[in-house]
Amino acid sequence: MESVTQERPVPPAAVRSEPESDSSPAPTPKTGRRMEWFTHWSIERRVLAGFGLVFAGIVVISAISYRNTAVLIENSRLDTKSHELVQLLNSIGEALDAAESGHRRYLVTGDESYLTAYRTVVERMPEYLRYLRGLTNEGVEQQSRVVTLEQLITKQLGEEAGAIAQREQHGYEGVRHLALSGAAKNEIEGIHRLMTEFDTAEQRAIQARVAQSAGSTRNTIALLGLGALLQLVLLASVYFLIHHDVTERRRVARELQSRGELLQAANKELEAFSYSVSHDLRAPLRHIDGYAALLSKAAGESLSEKGRRYLQTISDSAKQMGQLIDDLLVFSRMGRQDMLRTTVNLDQLVKTVLHDLRLDLQGRTISWTMHPLPNVSGDPAMLRQVLMNLISNALKFTATRQETKIEIGAVRRNSGEAEVFVRDNGVGFDMQYVNKLFGVFQRLHRNDEFEGTGIGLANVRRIIHRHGGRTWAEGAPNQGATFYFSLPLARSLR
Amino acid sequence: MTTLKPILLAEDNPRDAELALAAMEDQHIAEKVVVCHDGAEVLDYLYCRGAYAAREHGNPVVVFLDLKMPKVDGLEVLKTIKNDVKLRPIPVVMLTSSREERDLAQSYALGANAYVVKPVEFHQFIRAVKELGVFWGVINEPPPESSGPIK
Repeated sequence: MESVTQERPVPPAAVRSEPESDSSPAPTPKTGRRMEWFTHWSIERRVLAGFGLVFAGIVVISAISYRNTAVLIENSRLDTKSHELVQLLNSIGEALDAAESGHRRYLVTGDESYLTAYRTVVERMPEYLRYLRGLTNEGVEQQSRVVTLEQLITKQLGEEAGAIAQREQHGYEGVRHLALSGAAKNEIEGIHRLMTEFDTAEQRAIQARVAQSAGSTRNTIALLGLGALLQLVLLASVYFLIHHDVTERRRVARELQSRGELLQAANKELEAFSYSVSHDLRAPLRHIDGYAALLSKAAGESLSEKGRRYLQTISDSAKQMGQLIDDLLVFSRMGRQDMLRTTVNLDQLVKTVLHDLRLDLQGRTISWTMHPLPNVSGDPAMLRQVLMNLISNALKFTATRQETKIEIGAVRRNSGEAEVFVRDNGVGFDMQYVNKLFGVFQRLHRNDEFEGTGIGLANVRRIIHRHGGRTWAEGAPNQGATFYFSLPLARSLR
Repeated sequence: MTTLKPILLAEDNPRDAELALAAMEDQHIAEKVVVCHDGAEVLDYLYCRGAYAAREHGNPVVVFLDLKMPKVDGLEVLKTIKNDVKLRPIPVVMLTSSREERDLAQSYALGANAYVVKPVEFHQFIRAVKELGVFWGVINEPPPESSGPIK
């Protein structure tokens, strides 16, 4: 097993963004404890609370204004009633006066035509009184006056009826003592007093209502003013919030863009870097190896055994470094390269990889166990690299075995994933190092045991992560190892 | 040999040039190789100007072109060759350390005839250069307007 993990294989493009600090103003030390709960609220909660308060204020104002208006309407109704009452009382008074003076004239002259007014009053009085009762049904004081008035009127009309009857029977002489002053002088006076009281009471009530109406009108105007102010505040804060939100969004968009540009620049730089590594670092290595070979060719005969071994070491090291550079470049490319998403036939891919590895397979006794593999969704070139790395690892670490056994298979999961494994009977590894397996430059074996650069499995993990899958491994020293990776199934299989 | 046709090797690194020549030595192709050390020199050679004003006219049998060179880089030289009606038939083989996909794509897009990554391992390098030299210098039939023998 060649590689082991320390660093998390985070793709280089991943930018860790700091959580945005809340845009609310930071609580100042002056802000008392009372406000602490408020500053702990989220901006949404605060906005909601503010709107709630303003809304409640507007509701209260509307309710009070409604009540005030109702009072005004009621007062105006009562005023109408009062005016009617006053008019009615006037009419009753005039009618009674007319009846009284009519009956006196009759008493003096005996001319019946003077009784017309009296008869009309007698006829109409019950209706007048009913009307009067209807108009005063809301005031106890006035009601009691109506009762008194009724009694007085009944008495007056009764007296007058008595006098008229006497005149009819006994002629002028029978009523002489009444003829000048009238039959119901006292009652008429009482009635007029009562009417004045009536009128005064009504006028007082009207004045009180006028004062009340004026008060509630002022009140309503003030409240409506306050309501308008609150609505203005509401509008202003809505405007502020929307403005704030839009500004914030613009700021975030600008930031994202600038970060994107930075990222792009960083990526470009990285590309330039690996390009230069790829081009410039190889040349001196080729020279080291090349001149070592030329030296060995030109002077190999004259060199001692030791000298030849030194030359060989120079050459081997140069080759190893070349391999390292190649692997690193592949690793870097796997992180940056655009990814295809197509249906990949893993069975076919394994066959291709085995064909590529045919030179390594020569002279080996290998028993292959191949289970059918599902089609997955992914980048064929990258997945080929995964299988290539895992299979060549299996071959490498079983090189010391008499008979190599390699098993490749897959388990389909319900979650739309396939878990693929590559199992070998090689030297295995200690599970306590399992976390280091997939890291860059991490190796669990010495180079003289098994060659390698420590990048193969890191590459596997990077590619699988970019596909949205996972990698893991199981093994035990000298009992082989199993490497697993999961991939999304091809769409048709989900 | 009267039918010797030149192979143009554009290589800014003298060590790489020496190693390439060493590789072709065995096949007796080395003596046909003209080494240019930058892109400008390659163009001078192809257009018979500057230091090469006096050379016998005619195109080389093949140009081995490094990508990264001073003054005028490999891709620019390639572009010039492939945009010139007289030079276009010359086979151009990119011989470079770069395995970058971008270089590969650009080279082929500009009309490179082959793209060879120099192996780090010397024996592989030797083999690659040798095979290239033999194929382009001996096996491949060059376009008819290639130059005759050089002095």
